[in-house]
Amino acid sequence: MDINGTLINYYFHCKRQCWLHANRINLENEFELVDIGKAMHEIKFNNKKNSEIKIDNISIDKLTNDYVIEYKKSDADIEAAKWQLLFYLKVLKEKGIDRTGKLIFAEKNKQSKKTIVVKLDKENENELLNIMKNINELIKGDIPEVKLIKGCKKCAFYEYCFL
Amino acid sequence: MKTKYLMSMGTLSRKDNSLDFKNEKGHNYIPITEIREIYLMNEISLNTKLLSFLSQNNIIVHYFDYYGFYRGTFFPKEHYISGKLLLKQINAYENKGILIAKKIVLAISINIYNTLYHYYRHGNNEIYDYLNYLKDDCKNKIEKSKTINNLLAVEGEIWQLFYKNIKYIINQNIDFSRRVKRPPDNPMNAMISFGNSLLYTKTITQIYHTHLNQSISYLHELSKSRFSLSLDLSEAFKPIIVFKTIFDLINNKKINLKEHFNKKVNYCVLNEKGKEIFLINFEKRLDNKFDHKSLKRKISYNSAIKYDGYKLIKFLLEEKDFMFFNDKEKK
Repeated sequence: MDINGTLINYYFHCKRQCWLHANRINLENEFELVDIGKAMHEIKFNNKKNSEIKIDNISIDKLTNDYVIEYKKSDADIEAAKWQLLFYLKVLKEKGIDRTGKLIFAEKNKQSKKTIVVKLDKENENELLNIMKNINELIKGDIPEVKLIKGCKKCAFYEYCFL
Repeated sequence: MKTKYLMSMGTLSRKDNSLDFKNEKGHNYIPITEIREIYLMNEISLNTKLLSFLSQNNIIVHYFDYYGFYRGTFFPKEHYISGKLLLKQINAYENKGILIAKKIVLAISINIYNTLYHYYRHGNNEIYDYLNYLKDDCKNKIEKSKTINNLLAVEGEIWQLFYKNIKYIINQNIDFSRRVKRPPDNPMNAMISFGNSLLYTKTITQIYHTHLNQSISYLHELSKSRFSLSLDLSEAFKPIIVFKTIFDLINNKKINLKEHFNKKVNYCVLNEKGKEIFLINFEKRLDNKFDHKSLKRKISYNSAIKYDGYKLIKFLLEEKDFMFFNDKEKK
């Protein structure tokens, strides 16, 4: 299984979500949140230079001379977004592209800043290797049990998990 | 996300990023993002440009002929595919098929019981024996069934007795002695046929939005139809959706036996006005929302069909015990 940014994000957010996504069970979300996210991307990136770049199995929102930029609708799960971005930085670094990461949130609910700068260093690079190993083990194993967390009610898997 | 019924003759085409239905009265623009499925209930022309547009937007088209008989479904390319689940679905067919099939028949009996109990409570004492049968005898028979054929026999018995008891439920004098299909012979059979095929297509649409494979079924024979899983999953909803609609139409005199049916030499179908009345009430019932006990939110019966699909997926992937839709899910 090729690990992608979404999987890294889900791994931090919810292990069960990560497992389902990795095993190609993705369910439709009846909320408008997904549509909002999609529309946001369309408005921001359509026909713009250096945006929505696909390299291997990662898809980067925007690449500039200094930064790799990841846009998020909200700062609901900063940790997950941070590691997703670090993962992109790592993939790019392996291709000889050294950049700093920048997270930009359209809505800030948890903190006052709209942007967060993320840097890849030895420590988190090693941690990423660990995370990827764990993800590989997770998705090969049994599906994790349902655990109600914040965000469950907005998740596309909510009905599936709680029926 | 709605269902669009096109009842008149006309042409359906793509106009920019919208749909355009043109009939005698003129152009009718339908925003594509608002619909999930389209029913063509009359002679309607369309082209491949439209079909690929519908496909892009994952919209399913069901078509019926002028007499209201289901003719087919235009199925866009699958958008949810999981090899892992497909394997599990097949594997379950060999190993746990009977278990799933039993749950379907049990759900039919529970839902008929709950539908009819309402009438019993309001004084229709004649159905007492049938209710008792559903509660005890029938339940035992389902549990004891060892093969699919045994189970199908029990299912047949449930429906047969149900049809016999219908006369105690309805307050209009309809000669309904037995179920006759293809073609139906009287207004009751005409409505049952129309309602069942509508429910069948509704279920096809809902299954399309899950990873389940439409052709692998557990109660109905695999060879019966291309979409036999839809036959399976629609069973539990027949009493709640189709028959409740029919009883309401008859008992509240919304449908008129003389006015709304077309009686040919030896068969009977709903006429245009009749179909319209039926569809409006059928949709209303599907859209009806109720508080769901474990989800803790309001869901419609239409979504409940999809959630039965989710339950099956969960059973296949995680071996979680489950029961198809019944009243216990309501708060």
